[in-house]
Amino acid sequence: MGHKRLRFLVLVAAAMVFSLACGGTSGGGGTTKTYKIGLVTDTGGLNDKSFNHLADVGLEKAKTDFHVQGDVKESKTGDDYIPNLTDFASKKYDLVIGVGFLMQEAVGTVSGQFPNVHFAIIDGAGTDKNGKDLQHPNVVSLFFKEQDAGAMVGVIAGWLEKNGKAKKNKHVIGAVGGISIPPVNHYIAGYKWAAKMEDPMIQVQVGYSNNFNDPAKCKGVAQGQINAGADVLFQVAGGCGLGVLQAAGQAGVYSIGVDADQKDADPSVIASALKKVDVATYTAIQNVVQGKFQSGALTFSIANDGAGYAIDNFDLPSDLKAELDKVQGEIKSGSLTPPADIPA
Amino acid sequence: MPLGSVILAFALGAVICLVTGANPIDAYSGLLCGGAGLTCSQGENSALQISNTLVFMIPLIMAGVAVALPFRAGLFNIGAEGQLIAGAVACTAIGIQFAGLPGVILLPLVLLGGMAAGALWAGIAGVLKATVGAHEVVTTIMLNYVAQWLLRYLIIGGPLQLGPGTSTSKPIGQGAELARILPADNSLVIFGLPASVYRLHAGLFIALIAVAAFAFLLWRTSFGYEIRAVGQSQKAARYAGISYRRTIILTMLIAGGFSGLAGAVQVAGVDHNLTDKYFYDTTGFDAIAVALLGLGSAGGIVFASLLFGALHSGGAIMQSDAGISSNLVLVLQALILFSIAANFIGAIRRTLPFGRAGPAPVLPSELPPAAGLMSEAATPPPETA
Repeated sequence: MGHKRLRFLVLVAAAMVFSLACGGTSGGGGTTKTYKIGLVTDTGGLNDKSFNHLADVGLEKAKTDFHVQGDVKESKTGDDYIPNLTDFASKKYDLVIGVGFLMQEAVGTVSGQFPNVHFAIIDGAGTDKNGKDLQHPNVVSLFFKEQDAGAMVGVIAGWLEKNGKAKKNKHVIGAVGGISIPPVNHYIAGYKWAAKMEDPMIQVQVGYSNNFNDPAKCKGVAQGQINAGADVLFQVAGGCGLGVLQAAGQAGVYSIGVDADQKDADPSVIASALKKVDVATYTAIQNVVQGKFQSGALTFSIANDGAGYAIDNFDLPSDLKAELDKVQGEIKSGSLTPPADIPA
Repeated sequence: MPLGSVILAFALGAVICLVTGANPIDAYSGLLCGGAGLTCSQGENSALQISNTLVFMIPLIMAGVAVALPFRAGLFNIGAEGQLIAGAVACTAIGIQFAGLPGVILLPLVLLGGMAAGALWAGIAGVLKATVGAHEVVTTIMLNYVAQWLLRYLIIGGPLQLGPGTSTSKPIGQGAELARILPADNSLVIFGLPASVYRLHAGLFIALIAVAAFAFLLWRTSFGYEIRAVGQSQKAARYAGISYRRTIILTMLIAGGFSGLAGAVQVAGVDHNLTDKYFYDTTGFDAIAVALLGLGSAGGIVFASLLFGALHSGGAIMQSDAGISSNLVLVLQALILFSIAANFIGAIRRTLPFGRAGPAPVLPSELPPAAGLMSEAATPPPETA
């Protein structure tokens, strides 16, 4: 009998310690609330090795750090955006995250129907049919300073040309954009600006494939730039841009990936410009959990580690590493500001 | 037999669940929740699920008819998707151009415009088939791509683009919008949610009228008799004085009209604009499965559309509730189609020219109508076969 009583006492003690510990971390609340977070991907799905995948990485990290129940819905077609967002909202989720600007209109519609549910949208806002931001007080937009990431890979390209470490060293580099829209042009603006800063003699060729899906289209544009002497090519065209990386690999020149780390896409990839969707997603969840949700826009840049670069299939020379660290530090401190518009 | 196909598909789907370490009961209760609003375990709203299923069902019915009707004439219309896009484009273009007109005029105008565009799109394949013998399977598939890329041009850099940097069109005028069954009002609460979340629209009635018109056309008109006669035996039909060329062209025109209506109703009832979702849209292809599963009959098409609409709607709930990838839904659809196709394999093989055993029609008497038309346009078959 005494044995049983002892076990009971131990249990009570353990429960008290546990509840005290929990009370400590949740800021004094008696019970710990489990926050429900819903993530809706666009048609790329979770295995897109880019935005959707990174958003899920951010959600998984939040699940380990906070009391969070995270659920994911993959959209099969554009018809699924509204039903998927609505389902999470109707079940009173604490935060519903839409990935990508294709969902702008859907987020605009559903956030109007559920004013008590928080929404976050990556790379977009909650808009009406005319693309006008509805500025609902329950929506936060997660934007990126793509020019910061573009500038870092621009430093690499410019440094290689200036020091004769590229393949042809004719002071010509290229950038292949998908469609001439702001997020694409931000990347190219930073890239061109930083490359010129490193190597004033450099000539930057900018082309557009008018496509985000078909690698063949981007391959054609890339081959044109390679024929004109470019030996470092920056792709800013999503799935289409894989054709840029392939074209560079076949021609034996360097390429630079975009958005996510594209090291494995082709051996020619020496670096990638990163848009840290995982950091943005995690931050949005953290704000809700800590009661700090604010509508409007959050911008992710080098300053808050929401943008950056990765070195891929390339042995980074120590001089270049030093230059990258210097520029990154200056952008972080604000003494250098990459432009949002492509410089002349 | 189709019921058997569905049951077989679900049984195989359960096996796949078990093999991959998931619980099939969880999967199917999630699917049933999202599809029919039953067995919901996590506070889903039943009315919302049913509304979503019906919204997905509406275009499937009309596109299903567009596949089933040519099938009765021995034609494979694989181009319902392209015809649907043509209808959606025409509906949007008219809805934007004449946005100021009152609904009484504009709504019929956009729907008829969509039908006309779909009919035109399918009519190209019909005329090519009847005049030069180009196989409709090939031409309709190709026309799907033409429609998709035309749409992409129109909304990215083309005349319908909303503004620089967007991949959507301008919205259609208010008068071109189909009415919702429940008012689109955020403040009115019905079944515990704002009324505007229930997107079910008057297109439901248009779809049901369309499928009834299909049945009437096929079984109660002389043209329907001609379609069926050509489908049963093209030679016998010719012997009876039926012009198969006219029948082929008219059948494709009417089928395209149904598909075009599906696209127009989707724009007028749900989307109110064009987006690049049509690059991932599969309604016109699901319609092939719907027509086969529904055995080409009006009631069958409605039930098959309801099933596919429920699968579409249920997949997302299954994923978030049971943690099973919504790709299982695609596996189920494929299994259903596969087990139906297993029954149809003979017919499909004989209809496709490259599916035939020999390069030449060795036994003309066994040639089915569609293949017979092909060879007749190229080289006239012997009169006494």
